[in-house]
Order: sequence, then C-alpha cells, then structure tokens
Amino acid sequence: MKHSFPSITGRPFNSPDYRRKQHGFTLLEVLVALTITSLVLGGIFTLAAGSKRLAVSTQHSVQDSAAIRAKINLALIDNQFRDFQLPQSMEDNAYLIETGERPEDPTRRTEPMRDLLQLYNIEYPDQETSLIGTRWIRLELPE
Amino acid sequence: MRQHRQAGFTLMEIIIALSLTAMLLTMLTAGLFGVVRDWDDDASALEDSMDQAVTVLQLERALLGAFPHSYRNQETLAREVYFKGEEDSLSWVSEVSPGRQGSRTAWQLTNDSEGVMAYLAPAMSDNPDERLAEVEPRLLFPGYQVSFEYLYEDLEFARLWRDSWPGADVNILPLAVHVHLTPDDDMVSEPIDIIAAMPARQHRAIRPNLELIQ
Repeated sequence: MKHSFPSITGRPFNSPDYRRKQHGFTLLEVLVALTITSLVLGGIFTLAAGSKRLAVSTQHSVQDSAAIRAKINLALIDNQFRDFQLPQSMEDNAYLIETGERPEDPTRRTEPMRDLLQLYNIEYPDQETSLIGTRWIRLELPE
Repeated sequence: MRQHRQAGFTLMEIIIALSLTAMLLTMLTAGLFGVVRDWDDDASALEDSMDQAVTVLQLERALLGAFPHSYRNQETLAREVYFKGEEDSLSWVSEVSPGRQGSRTAWQLTNDSEGVMAYLAPAMSDNPDERLAEVEPRLLFPGYQVSFEYLYEDLEFARLWRDSWPGADVNILPLAVHVHLTPDDDMVSEPIDIIAAMPARQHRAIRPNLELIQ
C-alpha cells in the first residue's frame, strides 16, 4: 500500500521540506498580482470614461454647429440696406451680426454692378470668437 | 489518521473563500454592469443627436428648395400657390425629396402630443392637401413642439417676421422661414432654430398680392 511506503524514509508529508513547498503564495506575489489586476481594470475604466467624455463633447459640438448654422443663414438674409428684425427666439445677446467691408473688386471689372459681395462677421462677445463669411447684396444703384 | 489532516481545506475555509470570491465577483459585476449601461446610454444619446442633426439639415434643405407649386382652386377656378404657413404648422412643396424620389414632394409639419410630425406626399398638379391627408405621419422630432415665423419686406424695405403666410391669397413664398423647435423638457435638451431663405419665391405666371401682408 502506498501509505506504508514512506515509513522507510521517514514521513515526507510531515517533513519541513514538504511543508515549505506546500504553502500558498507569498505576500509579494499576491501584491504583484493585485497591482497588475488593478492596473488592467483601471485602464479599462479610464478608456470607458474617456469615450464617454468624447460622446458628450461630440453631442455638444453637433448642437453648437446647428445653432451656428441658423445664425449664418440669418446673416445671409440680413443686409446693410434693409432694416432687419431678428426672430424672437434668437434675440439674445450672445452673438452679434455685423456688416463688414466689401471684398476688393477684381482688377478687370469695368461695368458698374448692382449685385456685389459683402463680408459679414458673427461675433460672440463672451467667447471672444468671431466668424467671417461673404454674402450677396443688391444695391439700389449700380456701383 | 495523518492523511486526514493533510486532505485539504476545511469546510470553514472553503465557505469563507467561496463567500469572499462571490462578494468580489458581485461587486465587479455590478461595477461592470453600471459601466456598460452608461456606455449604452451615451451611445444611444449620441445616435439620437446625430439623427436630429441630420433631420435639421434635411429640413433646412427642404425649406431652401421650396417651390411655388400652383394648382387650380376647384371653386373659384383661380390658380393659387401652395404654401400654408400657420404659427404652429406649415405645408409647402419642395424640390427636395427624402430618399431617392426624383419628383417634388409636399411637406407638412404639425405638432402632436409625441412631438413634431411630418407628412410627406408626392406633389402632382392638383392641391396636395388631399394626398397629405391620406399618408401616415412620421415622428420627426420626438419631445419637441414647433412654431414658425415668415420673413417679408414692408413698404419701407424693412424685413420683418410675421406668424402666418397664406400662400393661396398672397401667391408668393416668404423671403425666409424661421422654424423654432421648443423641447417639452428644457432641462434635457436645448431649443433648435432653423433659418432657411427661399430663393425661388415667385411663380412665373401668377401675380403676387403682396399688398395683403403689408
């Protein structure tokens, strides 16, 4: 029988050698394993949080670009030669539409024209940003 | 007897180890579940706002492509331009059709308890109202209410907004339309403004009656 065999060489199951091999992980091993696990988990959670932030900021910039689009369209209808009333819901002071200069005429222009280009800016005083574009204007008299 | 002492963990140890493992796994699962749900919410919110942005652009294009569609009034036998602008609803005919249809489309936007509804029907040579009444509406902006303003020029050339545009009487389209979408719950979403000028305003044969709106 197997268990009778060790009686010749002593009791290996109880020997100090055997017991040292049997005991589990050392504290160091456990600490290293825990650190690695927490690093990996932390990485995953950071990625998730980062993508969430990205999603939220994308949503905001989509909304902002829709709002700016409406203002650009408004600036295109506006005209220095017409009194222009802003729509009620867009009357807030967050932005200003200003009439800019006329871009330089092409050197070859010979005839007076009524339909010309004009610059406009949309200013956001709070954010100190502005947006410049061009629009068609129709003059009363050819220039 | 010695082998029994070496047999492995005691019941107590196993129970403690198992319950600890179970606790850890529960916590981890709960955390992961929260993260995944959060992720799903973000993804669907982002998808919704992208859909909304595309809808806003499509609507702007459809308004920009407004066409002075005319039909013969069966009672008076006069030709009238189709553009019914009210404060809370708008029907018009546009060169722009959703999808890949090549023809002109009659659009109608109205308010409903669920949100802003769109009715779309092909525009033939008659009054599009009857065909619009037969189609199934689509929910365009869930949770929003719509209002409209119409731009005109008065006798002093001042550009002003008014809240109705009877196309059948005026026989010309407005200079521009302002669509204002108000969310039902303004804590969650922001109001949306759409401005669209209408370059093709006047029918080539029908004389406009601009005096009516001065």
